[in-house]
Amino acid sequence: MTFDLTIITANAGAIWNAFLVTIYTWLAGSALGIVAGLVIAALMLFGGRPLQLLLRGVIELVRGTPFLVILFLVYYGGPAFGVRLGAVTAGVLCIAGYSSVYFAEIFRSGFAAVPRGQLEAGECLGLSRFDLLWRVQLPQMLVLILPAIVNMLTILCKETAVLSIITVPELTAVLTGIGTRTFTFIETLLVLCIAYLLLIEITSRAGRWLERRVGTYLQR
Amino acid sequence: MPLTLSPTTTISTEPAKGANTATPIIHLSAVGKRYGNHQVLSNINLDVHHSEVVCLIGPSGSGKSTLLRSMAFLEEYDEGEIHIEGRLLGWEIDDRGRRKHAGRNRLNQARRNLGIVFQQFNLWPHMTAMGNVTEALVRVRRMKRSDAEKRAMTVLEKVGLAEKAHQYPARLSGGQQQRVAIARALAMEPKIMLFDEPTSALDPELVGEVLAVMKQLALEGMTMVVVTHEMGFAAQVANSVVFLDQGSIVARGTPSEVFRDTQHPRLRQFLQNYLDRNAFWHTTPEQEN
Amino acid sequence: MFDWPTFVFSLPLLGKALLITLQTSLLGNAFGFVIAILISSMQLAKMPLLRRLGGSYIFIFRGVPLLVQLLVIYYLAPMLGLPNLSPMVAAVLALSLCSGAYIAEILRGGLMAIPPGQREAAHLLGMSRPAILLRIELPQAVQSTLPSLVNELVLLIKASALVSVVGLADLTRVAQNLAASDYLFFQHYLVLAGIYCLINIPLTMFGRRLERHLQRSLA
Repeated sequence: MTFDLTIITANAGAIWNAFLVTIYTWLAGSALGIVAGLVIAALMLFGGRPLQLLLRGVIELVRGTPFLVILFLVYYGGPAFGVRLGAVTAGVLCIAGYSSVYFAEIFRSGFAAVPRGQLEAGECLGLSRFDLLWRVQLPQMLVLILPAIVNMLTILCKETAVLSIITVPELTAVLTGIGTRTFTFIETLLVLCIAYLLLIEITSRAGRWLERRVGTYLQR
Repeated sequence: MPLTLSPTTTISTEPAKGANTATPIIHLSAVGKRYGNHQVLSNINLDVHHSEVVCLIGPSGSGKSTLLRSMAFLEEYDEGEIHIEGRLLGWEIDDRGRRKHAGRNRLNQARRNLGIVFQQFNLWPHMTAMGNVTEALVRVRRMKRSDAEKRAMTVLEKVGLAEKAHQYPARLSGGQQQRVAIARALAMEPKIMLFDEPTSALDPELVGEVLAVMKQLALEGMTMVVVTHEMGFAAQVANSVVFLDQGSIVARGTPSEVFRDTQHPRLRQFLQNYLDRNAFWHTTPEQEN
Repeated sequence: MFDWPTFVFSLPLLGKALLITLQTSLLGNAFGFVIAILISSMQLAKMPLLRRLGGSYIFIFRGVPLLVQLLVIYYLAPMLGLPNLSPMVAAVLALSLCSGAYIAEILRGGLMAIPPGQREAAHLLGMSRPAILLRIELPQAVQSTLPSLVNELVLLIKASALVSVVGLADLTRVAQNLAASDYLFFQHYLVLAGIYCLINIPLTMFGRRLERHLQRSLA
């Protein structure tokens, strides 16, 4: 077994581009997923009973299906309905759709976690429903759900590796590609693992830092 | 001796004597409420007059907290009427004589006269003591922030917490948190203060500071309705004490009528139970006999 | 739109593949549980080195995507002198190693929630450390974390779709093959998603019932 990192330096440009694709699909997909999740959570709170049941059903179905299968359904199954998406677009949309149901659950539990009594106190002081949502519920909810959001982000970061299966030119696809072409599996896979470990570590550290910043008032 | 019983006096079921006879500031007539099959409140008639302090006592589950929360329409009573300053609370009577929910504005109008203090404080943990007090002044009363802070400082001083104004609730003791909650309610300059077991969630040594603030308020002439287990406070401060059991008013009267002269078996049992729990050193009357 | 004869024809194939999927996930879960016991007790050990090792294991196996772990095992096993690693063994190995890290985190939470007085009491009665772990602490930790463990099984069944990459004929792989043969991509993948849901949704509901039950018994 030889260990030769020149194969990495020789392909630095391609690997950097792949890294950017990973970051793009991850962050764009997550951002869309968060927005969609908020919308779903709001619809479940304020929409009627039928809408609530419908969304509940959709959430269960998406949660029961592997991410890879959703990816296949959209990317390979889409053309049957005339929906032809590029691999990257399909990847971003799938990450968004897949994560939106998880984010919706996180937001829903966040709204429920603010004690009822705090709202009663505000109501008695004459605060409007909007003020209560905006000034009392939302700021607390964001702090309460921050760990869950960060955790979900790390999960999604890892899910982007699956996009390599539908030929998105992200890190996993490009590095294993270089590996198979040049038979340098050890080097390429090592770099791949380190890249993901770094991304995950940075994300969770940033999350913890943010938690400390915004959570000061909860510390005794 | 803590519990002397004189067989000649009977408990008055009329509103407390001595309070003025003008229109009551809170007027409850035949108020009732049920959860499914369970009647939580039945046929409650109660008047509270200006500057009067009424204490609601009773075993847990007797409906005293529900009754107090009904006075702010945090619980929807479904029979009878509650009037605050002559205004029907929470309901509107439509053209056909049926009751429907009052609009939010109307409800807020009625609640303007009320300040509420909860057992669990219910402070907003992401705002400082100052932020908790000024929030409604700025958002509801549309005061300028600087004016709101001035008024907040005054009420925080009143409850003895001026130097804690910029602390978050988590950094305050339970007693201090409850005093901030009192200040938050007082800042809105209510005519009536409702207290829902304000000391029940506190460590015993912190109860005193909260009761002292409440006593001061009573001395200043605030109209107060207090659900409490602090019989000492009720005995010293209340103009009238109301004993509830199983959703009904069973006895009422001045503190001395209720605490000393009562004949009512359920109330006697309740008070004896309280004494047994709280007496140390003293012997109970049963043991003396 | 939906070709019923094809669907009926594909059912026996999918049924066999479902058994493979269940086999890999359940085996992965079982071995993962054993790994997890080891790792979580390492993390709670007194020796700093053991704690470090346990922590690193979790850091690596939770930080690298399962797909990459699969690729590492698939490509590097031959280099490490394991040329005949069958797809099944490779798949179960990867799933065990990965789920071991996640289950270890769950168990650690459960173990830490047990009052230390219990261990001290057992210690005074002369029980050995492994005995205390296996007889006193683990049963309680498993009981209190059962909902999370069921949830972890659901996640593992979903993750097992990735083993198709190393050539194991699991549900996803068979559906892929079917779709490649008649180009009914959407139909086959829809059926595939349906089968996963058919297993996962009841399991999820069971987990939620356990959780409610647990909360009631603790309340």
